[in-house]
Amino acid sequence: MSNQKKRNFQIEAFKQRVVVDPKYADKTWKILEHAIHEIYNHNASGLSFEELYRNAYNMVLHKYGDKLYTGLVTTMTFHLKEICKSIEEAQGGAFLELLNRKWNDHNKALQMIRDILMYMDRTYVSTTKKTHVHELGLHLWRDNVVYSSKIQTRLLNTLLDLVHKERTGEVIDRVLMRNVIKMFMDLGESVYQDDFEKPFLEASAEFYKVESMEFIESCDCGEYLKKAEKPLVEEVERVVNYLDAKSEAKITSVVEREMIANHVQRLVHMENSGLVNMLLNDKYEDMGRMYSLFRRVANGLVTVRDVMTLHLREMGKQLVTDPEKSKDPVEFVQRLLDERDKYDRIINMAFNNDKTFQNALNSSFEYFVNLNTRSPEFISLFVDDKLRKGLKGVGEEDVDLILDKVMMLFRYLQEKDVFEKYYKQHLAKRLLSGKTVSDDAERNLIVKLKTECGYQFTSKLEGMFTDMKTSHDTLLGFYNSHPELSEGPTLVVQVLTTGSWPTQPTIQCNLPAEVSVLCEKFRSYYLGTHTGRRLSWQTNMGTADIKAVFGKGQKHELNVSTFQMCVLMLFNNSDRLSYKEIEQATEIPAPDLKRCLQSMACVKGKNVLRKEPMSKEIAEEDWFVVNDRFASKFYKVKIGTVVAQKETEPEKQETRQRVEEDRKPQIEAAIVRIMKSRRVLDHNNIIAEVTKQLQTRFLANPTEIKKRIESLIERDFLERDNTDRKLYRYLA
Amino acid sequence: MGLSNDRIRFNVGGRIFETTATTLANAGRGSFFGALFDENWNLSQPEDLFIDRNPDCFAVLLDLLRTGDLNIPPNIPERLLHKEAMFYGLIDHLRTAKWGPFDGNRLHLSRSVTGIAPGDGTAIRAGPDGGCCVAHGSVVHVFDWMLEEHPTINLDYQRVNDVGWIDSGNIVLSACERLGRGDGGMGLFSSSSGELRYKFQVSHDNQIKSYSAGALSFSPDSKIFTSCKGRSNEYGIGVWDQITGKQLDFFYESPGWSLGDADKLQWLSGKNCLLVATLFPRKDNCYISLLDFRDKNMVWSWSDIGFLATAEEKRVRDAIAMEESNSICVVNEFEDLGFIDMRMDGGGSSVRWSSRSRLMKSKMPDEPCYPKLALHEGQLFSSMNDSISVFCGSDWVLTSRLKRSYGGSICDFSIGGDRLFALHSEENVFDVWETLPPPII
Repeated sequence: MSNQKKRNFQIEAFKQRVVVDPKYADKTWKILEHAIHEIYNHNASGLSFEELYRNAYNMVLHKYGDKLYTGLVTTMTFHLKEICKSIEEAQGGAFLELLNRKWNDHNKALQMIRDILMYMDRTYVSTTKKTHVHELGLHLWRDNVVYSSKIQTRLLNTLLDLVHKERTGEVIDRVLMRNVIKMFMDLGESVYQDDFEKPFLEASAEFYKVESMEFIESCDCGEYLKKAEKPLVEEVERVVNYLDAKSEAKITSVVEREMIANHVQRLVHMENSGLVNMLLNDKYEDMGRMYSLFRRVANGLVTVRDVMTLHLREMGKQLVTDPEKSKDPVEFVQRLLDERDKYDRIINMAFNNDKTFQNALNSSFEYFVNLNTRSPEFISLFVDDKLRKGLKGVGEEDVDLILDKVMMLFRYLQEKDVFEKYYKQHLAKRLLSGKTVSDDAERNLIVKLKTECGYQFTSKLEGMFTDMKTSHDTLLGFYNSHPELSEGPTLVVQVLTTGSWPTQPTIQCNLPAEVSVLCEKFRSYYLGTHTGRRLSWQTNMGTADIKAVFGKGQKHELNVSTFQMCVLMLFNNSDRLSYKEIEQATEIPAPDLKRCLQSMACVKGKNVLRKEPMSKEIAEEDWFVVNDRFASKFYKVKIGTVVAQKETEPEKQETRQRVEEDRKPQIEAAIVRIMKSRRVLDHNNIIAEVTKQLQTRFLANPTEIKKRIESLIERDFLERDNTDRKLYRYLA
Repeated sequence: MGLSNDRIRFNVGGRIFETTATTLANAGRGSFFGALFDENWNLSQPEDLFIDRNPDCFAVLLDLLRTGDLNIPPNIPERLLHKEAMFYGLIDHLRTAKWGPFDGNRLHLSRSVTGIAPGDGTAIRAGPDGGCCVAHGSVVHVFDWMLEEHPTINLDYQRVNDVGWIDSGNIVLSACERLGRGDGGMGLFSSSSGELRYKFQVSHDNQIKSYSAGALSFSPDSKIFTSCKGRSNEYGIGVWDQITGKQLDFFYESPGWSLGDADKLQWLSGKNCLLVATLFPRKDNCYISLLDFRDKNMVWSWSDIGFLATAEEKRVRDAIAMEESNSICVVNEFEDLGFIDMRMDGGGSSVRWSSRSRLMKSKMPDEPCYPKLALHEGQLFSSMNDSISVFCGSDWVLTSRLKRSYGGSICDFSIGGDRLFALHSEENVFDVWETLPPPII
């Protein structure tokens, strides 16, 4: 019994010794609590860190971590409430400064408390998953000070007010601002965002909305853009000065929305100062500003581009459809080139060489250049003009530059085959008349065409050059084999391959005996060196230089056409001839003969013949005599036949018809190619594919394609499907 | 300048120490010394600074700050030293000085820890900071890096299949379910207190179902994978988010291919795939596959069905993917290593067995343990009976063998926190292998 009692007693004694004196915990906490008070009262110099640290350690070690932690929360909350009260009482400008000072004090105190309670932070807080001391201090500050009912709105309004002041030009204490806003950031991203950034952005939106309305009512477009540029820079500066870097994108987008996006339409279309006005007056700086500002907002550039496109098309349409302006082809093309240069420069200098703008420019040109069906002809004429004489004395690089620009226009053409047709004609004339200025320039352009449209497009053009070269060689050979011909008239023959050159009806005429002898010799020489060939004389395309002595002994060298030469040679034997006699002797067709007589008898200064009776027109009853009184200050006189510069209306029709005729086999070939690979295809798809295949040469007409299909069906290349009439089958 | 100002005298538990502020600065701001010398604290020093602590331990810790090396005299109990280091906030310094960066060829046995759990251990897992946990039947024993045991973990005291560390404070445990009770499954525990923090649910067709959780794997983007066996057809691999605890995904088992029974899961970051291996003897055949969860596709698979008639002894017992060489290393019960090329479509394609001598074949111990594999920074580890072999180089040359005299065969081992833990099947003991600190020169 006693034994048992004794054991009980022993156990109890043991228990009492293990439990630490509860007063010990209270006592220790009092010391720590006092220290925290002292720290907040700036009275920490008398505190011993070692002692406080040891005390906090001991409390945790003896399982009083909970007491320590709750004590900390209570004490800190008490002090923060005191601080809150003092801040609330602050008046005017002192408010923000006091808040900042108290925040700094709290941070410092928090650091010291954290030092003392380091062991608790490391062990007790970690294992119980409580909030760490530093974070706890921030949370308590946030809840007791920043969220206090008397501070929260006042603080926000003060800050927004300061921002507003700065925006309207006042100087504010940025350092203070920075520190206070840093406080929001330190309290956590969500605090900064919800309690400062969001209201800040709303206030900014309101501010810039009012501002932009004011500007737009009072400024023209250029001025407005200048003013809109400013806040963008300022707000970025503001972010650098005292906001979180992450706010930059947000505030920038607010300014962009209020200052730019909301006014895009109005700015672009502003009367007398909008985009069209800028384009017309080449206001590079304003347009550059518009570009760099509008690119920031959705649809900004699209609007600019659309307005530019619309304006371009309108302007271009007027340009190409104005009959006044299409009178002179060279000027017409020059105008187009000038416009292109102008817009090229605008896009380059103001629109940052934006690809989409370049595309808009190209598509606009493509649109209106093709509005005028004569554009291919005019472009070819422009080239002709440049290669005939325009390029004389111009450097090789400049030639290249002009040709490049022309190629640019050429690219816009839908009917490239029409251009080819004209180009061929004009080139033929240049080559045969020896009027081409530079062989290099000619070849250069051919190379450009070749790279643009492929070999097929230029093979015939190149054939023309080859003919010129071989003719030269043949002629050398001819005279070498006939040394006896070195005296007497000289014959220059250009042998043209049929097909390479623009076809023209062969007009026969009786050549003077001297010439026809030569021609026969050449024919037999040529046929002797080449077998299986046929030569026919294109007398309508030749020229002749003849020496003439007139009644008073004046000597002239006359440059005339072959027909004119035939006529003039007749006057070697007789002084006076009737129209009928001439016609009989030369057998030149009437219209050509009339034209050639007209140019020799009716043009002042070139009238080597005299017509009886005198009149403007050639009649069949007219008589002709040599004009003895012919006078010219030049020794060489060129008597041109009336050359067609621009095609006349019927000629144009004819060319067009020829082009249409040439297109037929090409369309048919395309249809067959497509059907051969696809076997079965419906109508719409054929049309689409054919158009696509041919668009490098011309824009095929759907009705024409349909006609070609029908023709192919007739010729058993294709058949219609029995059940679905819209379907075509390829017949092998 | 100010060399004399740098000098500091301490009176620690009655003994005078003299050192410099520079030396103490090595302790860092988050330590006792860091705070002590902060300008916030008015360190007027009329006399020696008194610290009411053990002077012997202070001497050791001061030397640690001076040299970075830890030398514990035999008269100082390690626990006392750890406690002192905790006081000064130097426990992390102590831990990093205690053992060096892991190298399989320079390991030495640091300690063997004997437990009191009945029966065989199931699994051992190394924690990220040098601690470990050991699954024994229905409970898991948790040890911190000081090898002090924390409260055990259990999930309704159901049989534990696998455990794993999410971080040094959190452990995931997977366990069998008990029919009809909703017990078992998978839970997240605090490693220090052992309390259950979260129990992971699996739901099929928006209905929460009970399940048995098997092998575990974690991915760097905070996902947990486990093989699941439900009551009816809910077999497959479940995926959860470590942070929210919500189920993210479920890869249902395709017919004839055991995913729910998998012995091993391994997340492959480079391939964005999960390796799933179901091995003999859980199933009669071995199945290894790579799952892509983005489009629920089994992107690669291998099985030994039909390949056993000729080489019966070559049954795959463990597998580990080696992403760098695009191959999977496998091991059979004789510790022969084999390699499967992941680039070629599996389809039973050949395992390239390396021709190691099979010394084991003659003397198998009474209680054999199946080989296990581990990969750590280019070194391959394979356990067999009572030893662990270390292989290095591109041809996997055997370079070291870790062996200890008692405890019987090694049933599981794990590498982490620069330590290797080996769990023995007998005697309820596990060994801790560490790399020695780097040499002086």
